[in-house]
Amino acid sequence: MLNRILAITGKEFLHLWRDPRMLAAVLLMPVLMLLLFAYAISFDIRNVPTGIVDMDNTPTSREYAQAFDASDLFNVSYRADTISGVDAVIDEGRVSIVLVIPKGFGKDLLAGLTAEVGVYVDGSEPNSGRVSRAAALALTTQYNRELAVRWADLNGVDISAVGGLEPLMRTWYNPELKSSDYLIPGLLVVIMMIVTVQQTSVSLVRERAQGTQDQITVSATRPTELLLGKLLPWSILALTEVGIITLVSKWLFNIPLRGNLFAFALGTFIFVVCGLALGMLISSFCNTLESANMMAIVVAFLPSFLLSGFVFALEQLPEWIQWLSCALPVRFMVELTRDVFLKGAGFAEVLPEMSFMLIFAVLAITLAAHFYRRRLR
Amino acid sequence: MTEANAISIQNLTKRFGHFTAVDHLSLEVPVGQVFGFLGANGSGKTTTIRMLTGSLTPSSGKAYVLGANVAKRVAEVRRRIGYMSQKFSLFEDMTVEENLRFYGGVYNLDPDEFAARREYILDMADLRGRESELTANLSVGWRQRLALGAATIHSPELLFLDEPTSGVDPLARRRFWDLLYELAKTGVTLFVTTHYMDEASHCNRLAFINSGRLVAEGTPNELRAQHNGATLEEIFTKLSTN
Repeated sequence: MLNRILAITGKEFLHLWRDPRMLAAVLLMPVLMLLLFAYAISFDIRNVPTGIVDMDNTPTSREYAQAFDASDLFNVSYRADTISGVDAVIDEGRVSIVLVIPKGFGKDLLAGLTAEVGVYVDGSEPNSGRVSRAAALALTTQYNRELAVRWADLNGVDISAVGGLEPLMRTWYNPELKSSDYLIPGLLVVIMMIVTVQQTSVSLVRERAQGTQDQITVSATRPTELLLGKLLPWSILALTEVGIITLVSKWLFNIPLRGNLFAFALGTFIFVVCGLALGMLISSFCNTLESANMMAIVVAFLPSFLLSGFVFALEQLPEWIQWLSCALPVRFMVELTRDVFLKGAGFAEVLPEMSFMLIFAVLAITLAAHFYRRRLR
Repeated sequence: MTEANAISIQNLTKRFGHFTAVDHLSLEVPVGQVFGFLGANGSGKTTTIRMLTGSLTPSSGKAYVLGANVAKRVAEVRRRIGYMSQKFSLFEDMTVEENLRFYGGVYNLDPDEFAARREYILDMADLRGRESELTANLSVGWRQRLALGAATIHSPELLFLDEPTSGVDPLARRRFWDLLYELAKTGVTLFVTTHYMDEASHCNRLAFINSGRLVAEGTPNELRAQHNGATLEEIFTKLSTN
């Protein structure tokens, strides 16, 4: 039994080795995707091109503007003392946020009155627009507080004696809100899904289409042996790639790996089984490599991008799509991966996700075995 | 059913929905013969072979191969038979050596056995010196002989050949049949389907089927005599159009 399985597994690796395009797709695609997602498709907001219109031009207004200059978030690339050019620079896309300090700003503040500033945000890119607006507000609030403290000092009031509310914001798990922390654990799951579902279904269909499956079946190789032999290489590859990506994300991108590694490993294993079963299911419905490929894209590729919470947070999607996402194991694996990587989860915390995937794995294997057997008869 | 028959079929039938591919077929193939199984495309030849190799379950009827009921002892039957199809079932992205090694592994040969069979096949198929050549780069004739080697790597007692020579030039066909005769001389029973009547005339016995039913059986000479000296081509045309 072992002999046969190893013969088939060895042959699968030979196929892979002899097909440079396939080898590249399997080995390089994950690395490429990783680099692409980590560097290019970043949702981090930095260096927002910023304009400052200081119509007041007093020491106070300059001090206030200085707060924006000093922040990483804003990159002040336009300065003026009239508002007349603002429309043009926003239209041309030279700046996406403009801070307007009106005349009398410094005087009002020194008199203890409330001063107003205008913040114009280019909303055509909503995400960075939203973030820069929030940051501008935060900076202004902070400056406000500094002014209050200074005022208290000047007037001899002990600030600690005065009661006050102080908002303390803290972001958990991903304090810098780095998008790579969020994306890479999800990416890992997507890559596993592609390697297992797409490659297994294609390799199973190819075996049947070229007639070698008949030949192997006639050699008294049991269907289970054939399947194990064919699925083993892809499981090994999927697990190796998970290992590589985990190391790369840890050492190159400093993704924290806070939780229980064994919980992650077990989850990964169950997920790989789900993927292989899905690949088998697809192969039992398709007769050509093209149709297997297309179906794999529909079943594996699209849902893992769109319905897994990998890029788009599931909570923000319509409710029926959230339910739909429960039909596939990707969403649970993405959750499990993030829980382990970012939240430091152990077995107890990821038990629900693991159970869902286990149920899926058992169902998919049963179905796949049923259709596969029917195919052989 | 006696040990003298390599294959014994009784009322073998296979229905796919409303379509009957093989219809109450009864046939005996004595051990050590080269048996030609003839019929037009779609007449049920491949379906019959698939039932005899245990790849398809018959709708009704019985099939005994090498004395064993295929439906009940498929694993045992499969260890003792070989199968070569028109597609050759070789991995073109693998070398001659790797193909042989793979089928050796699938047939669970131990290293000594494999080494001996490998030597024999390389000589038989005239592939010595080409062990590390990719199968895709071999000419069709060589590929065909390699496929025969792979199909017989476990020294089967009975070999099914499903149109093994289609798409091969006459010279290579002649050479291939020489190999088949050598196999037959060692006592291996051959069950061959073909569309070439010159090949059919080299068989010990022939069976013609049409729409899954046996329409004629006998030695080539008996069949020619029954049809008033007609050629096998003429007999084939007549039996296949009725």
